[in-house]
Amino acid sequence: MKLLYTVIIICLCLFTVRAQTLTDGLMMQKDNFCTGFLYTHDQWTQYWEGSLKRDNGNIGKVTTQSLVWAGNYGITNRLNVIAMVPYVRTKASQGTLAGMEGLQDLTVGVKYNFFTHLREGVSKFKLFAVAQLSTPLNDYTPDFLPLSIGMSSTNVAGRITTFYKHDKQGWFANASFGYTVRSNVQLDRPSYFTNDRIYFTNEVDMPNVFDAFISAGYLKNGLQAEVNFTGQNTLGGDDIRRQDMPFVSNRMNFSKVGVLVMYYLPALPELALRASGSYTVYGRNVGESTTLLAGVLYTFKFNNQ
Amino acid sequence: MIVMTMNTIQTSLRLLIPCLFITVIIVSCQQEIEDGEIVKPLTPARLDEDAGTWSMIVLTSPDQVPVAAPASVTSDAYKAELEAIKKAQQSLSSAQQRTIDFWSGGGVLRWNQIMRELVARYNLPPAPNDQGTYPTPDPENPFADPKFPFSNPPYAARAYSYVSVAQYEGMKAAWHYKYLYNRPAPYTVDASIKALVPKTTLPAYPSEDAVLSGVTVELLKLLFPASVEEITKHAADQRNAALWSGKASSSDIAAGLALGKSIAAIIIARASTDGMRNAIGTPAQWEALYDSARVHWTKAGVNGGTEVLWKSLEIPPRPPMLPFFGQVKGWLMTPQDFAANRPGPPPSSVSEKMKEEIEEVKRYSINATRNQIAIVHKWADGVGTYTPPGHWNDIAAEYVRDANYSEVRAARAMALLNMALHNAGVACWENKYYWMNPRPSQLDPSIKTWTGLPNFPAYGSGHSTFSSSAAGVLSYLFPVHADYFIMQADEAAISRLYGAIHYRADIEDGMTHGERIASFVVNFAKQDGAD
Repeated sequence: MKLLYTVIIICLCLFTVRAQTLTDGLMMQKDNFCTGFLYTHDQWTQYWEGSLKRDNGNIGKVTTQSLVWAGNYGITNRLNVIAMVPYVRTKASQGTLAGMEGLQDLTVGVKYNFFTHLREGVSKFKLFAVAQLSTPLNDYTPDFLPLSIGMSSTNVAGRITTFYKHDKQGWFANASFGYTVRSNVQLDRPSYFTNDRIYFTNEVDMPNVFDAFISAGYLKNGLQAEVNFTGQNTLGGDDIRRQDMPFVSNRMNFSKVGVLVMYYLPALPELALRASGSYTVYGRNVGESTTLLAGVLYTFKFNNQ
Repeated sequence: MIVMTMNTIQTSLRLLIPCLFITVIIVSCQQEIEDGEIVKPLTPARLDEDAGTWSMIVLTSPDQVPVAAPASVTSDAYKAELEAIKKAQQSLSSAQQRTIDFWSGGGVLRWNQIMRELVARYNLPPAPNDQGTYPTPDPENPFADPKFPFSNPPYAARAYSYVSVAQYEGMKAAWHYKYLYNRPAPYTVDASIKALVPKTTLPAYPSEDAVLSGVTVELLKLLFPASVEEITKHAADQRNAALWSGKASSSDIAAGLALGKSIAAIIIARASTDGMRNAIGTPAQWEALYDSARVHWTKAGVNGGTEVLWKSLEIPPRPPMLPFFGQVKGWLMTPQDFAANRPGPPPSSVSEKMKEEIEEVKRYSINATRNQIAIVHKWADGVGTYTPPGHWNDIAAEYVRDANYSEVRAARAMALLNMALHNAGVACWENKYYWMNPRPSQLDPSIKTWTGLPNFPAYGSGHSTFSSSAAGVLSYLFPVHADYFIMQADEAAISRLYGAIHYRADIEDGMTHGERIASFVVNFAKQDGAD
C-alpha cells in the first residue's frame, strides 16, 4: 500500500516547538518531499510555581500561537532530513505585560532507520537514530518568560526511536527517547539570581533535557489515529520561587497526553490534513497547557515509481 | 529478515561523525559560567593613616567606643597567639586556603557582593492569598511565607546604606586605634609567620577584618534575619581568614570584633527609630494619602478634585509599596531639605501635556526596538534582583576594586554611594505619594509594558532618581569616568520610558531630583578630610 508516512506534529511544549516526525517511526520515501504549514494554539491559566499549582491575576490566560513551516525530504527510504521554522506569538489576557512575537528557532534533523525486522505482509519492527540541531533565527530575548517566544539556546539532540506495526490489522506502537544538550544563553542584564545564589554575569547555563514520546494507534488506508504521551525532564535548574517570575534555566518538566489524527484525502493522496491536541497532566515550572494543532501537508513525489 | 548490511553501517558512521562534531562544538559552548565580578587580592595604593580623623556620620567621634591598649608584642600572651597562628598555618586545608582567598579581596567588597545576593534572594513580593489580599512579611516570623523582608528597592536602598555606613564608621574607628597603638601584624612581628595575603604596614590592632565582620553581621541579622546562619558563617570565615593569613592575632581579632559589635549597636539604635517601622502604614493611612494628594494638587493650582490619582493595577490590587518610606530619616539631609528639593507638579492627568506624554509612552509600548527592549531588561532590576540601588553597587564595586582602595577608603566610597541612594529612595518615595500620579497603563489601559509595572505612583521615576544620584557620587569619586556614569544613568532612566511604565516627565524630573540629592552627599564628602 502506498501509505505516505509523512509526518510532522508540533507539540508546543510550552515554548519549544518540536516535530513529532523526529520522534515517530514513520519515514518519507526516497525523493519525496512533504511540506506544509501547521498552526498551533496553546493556552494555560494555571501553572506550576515549582510544585505549587496556581494561577496569577497579572497574566491571566497565556496564549501562544505559532505557525510552523515544516519540510521532510526522503534522501533514501531510510534516511530523511526534516526542517522546521516556527513563527511564534504570545499574549497574556490580564495585567500589563506585553506579548512578544517573531521567528523562533530553526530545527534541522536527520532521521536514520538503521534496523528493520520485517515479516512480509504481517508486521514490521524498526529502530531509528535521530540527530537534531536547533538554533534561534533572531536575537529574541528569553528573559521575559512566560511571554518570551523561546529559550534562545542552540541545541543538539540525539534520539533513539523504536517502532512496531502490525501491518495486517494496522495497529502500531512507537517509543522515542531523546537527550538534548543546550548551549548557554545570554541575557540583556549583568546579573541574575537562580539556584539560590546570585550570578554576576549575563550568561546562563542551561541544564540538559531528557524527553520521552510514546504513542500507539491505528495506521492504515491513509488514516493515522493515535493516542500519545510526551514527557520532558529538565536535568537541573531551579524552581520558580514563590511569586517570582519564571527564569530561562528553570527545571521545566511536564507530562502531556494527547491524540492525533492524520488523514490523506482519497481523492488527492498527496494532501494530508492533520489535527492533534494535548493536555498537560503534570508539570513543574510550566503552564498547565492545552494545545491544539491543525495542519495541511502536501507531498511532492520527485521519483515516479 | 534482518536488514543491517555493512553499507548501512558505513552510512551510519558517515552521519555520526558530523553529528559528533556538532555536539562537540555545542558542548564546548556550554562552558562553566564565569562570574564577571572577580575580586583580586587587595594591595592598597595607600594606607590612609589619617582616616581616624575623617568626619564621622553617626558616631560622635572615632573613640566613642573605647578600645583598651593591647598587650605588648613581647608579652607571653601575645607570643602564645603567634604560636597559634604558626600552628594553624602548618596544617591549612584547601578549604581554609579558599576562605583566605575569598576574603583577600577586601571585606567591604565581599560583604557588598554577599549583600546584593541577600537582597536578590528576598526581593519577592508576597503572593496573594485566597481572599484576594496580601499577607505582610513579619520580622518576628521571617521564615514563613511570605519571607521577611520583601527587599524591594526602598528597603534595599536603606539596607545597603546602613551596612555601608556602619562599615565606614567601624573602619574609621579601627584606623584611629590602629595608629594610636601601632601594633604590627603578626607576619611583621615574627618572620616565621607567612603572609598569605599581600603584606602591608597597616597596624593590626584592632583587626579591620574583625571590625567589618562585627558591624556587618549585626546589621545583616537585623535586615535579613532568616539568613542568620549564612551571615554568621561568613563573618566567622572573615575573622578566620585574617588569622590564618598571618594578618591578625587572636587579640587583634577579639578587639576588632568587640569594637565592631559596639558600633553596630549604635547604628542599630538609629535604624530602629528612623521611621522605617511606619513605612508600610495602615489602610486608613493609605486612604488619607488620596485626600492629601488632592490638597497638594489644588495648592499647585490644579483642580485636585478632578485629578486622576494612582491606583494599583495588580490583580488583585496590592497595597502601595512602602507609601511612608518618604518619611524615613535620610543621611546628611533634614526633612526640610527633602521638602525643599521636591519636584513637581507633574503634568495633570487631564492636561493636553499628559495626552502627549501618554502618546509617547504608547509608541514605545508598540514599537520598542530589540535594542530598546535590551535596555529595558538591562536596567529592569525588578522582582528577584538586587534592585536599582544594588545595580549601582555592582557598578561601583568594580571601580573601587580597580582603584586599590584601603578598606577604610573602600568603605567610604560605598557609604557615600549608598547614603545618596537611600536619600534618593526617601526623596523619590516622598514625591511619589505627594502627587499620587497614575501610571501610563492606568490612564490608557491599552498600554502594554516590556517589564513588570511597579506598584506605586509614577512621578518621578525611581530609576531616574536612584541612577542620577548614584552617578553624581561616583562622578565625584572617579571623575575620570564621570561621562560613563552619567551615560549609564541616562540609559537607566530612559529605559523606563522604553519599557512603557513611565512618562518622560517622570524621568526628566527624576534625574534632576537625583542630582540635587547627590549634592548633599558630595558636599559632605568634599569636606570630610579624606580628599
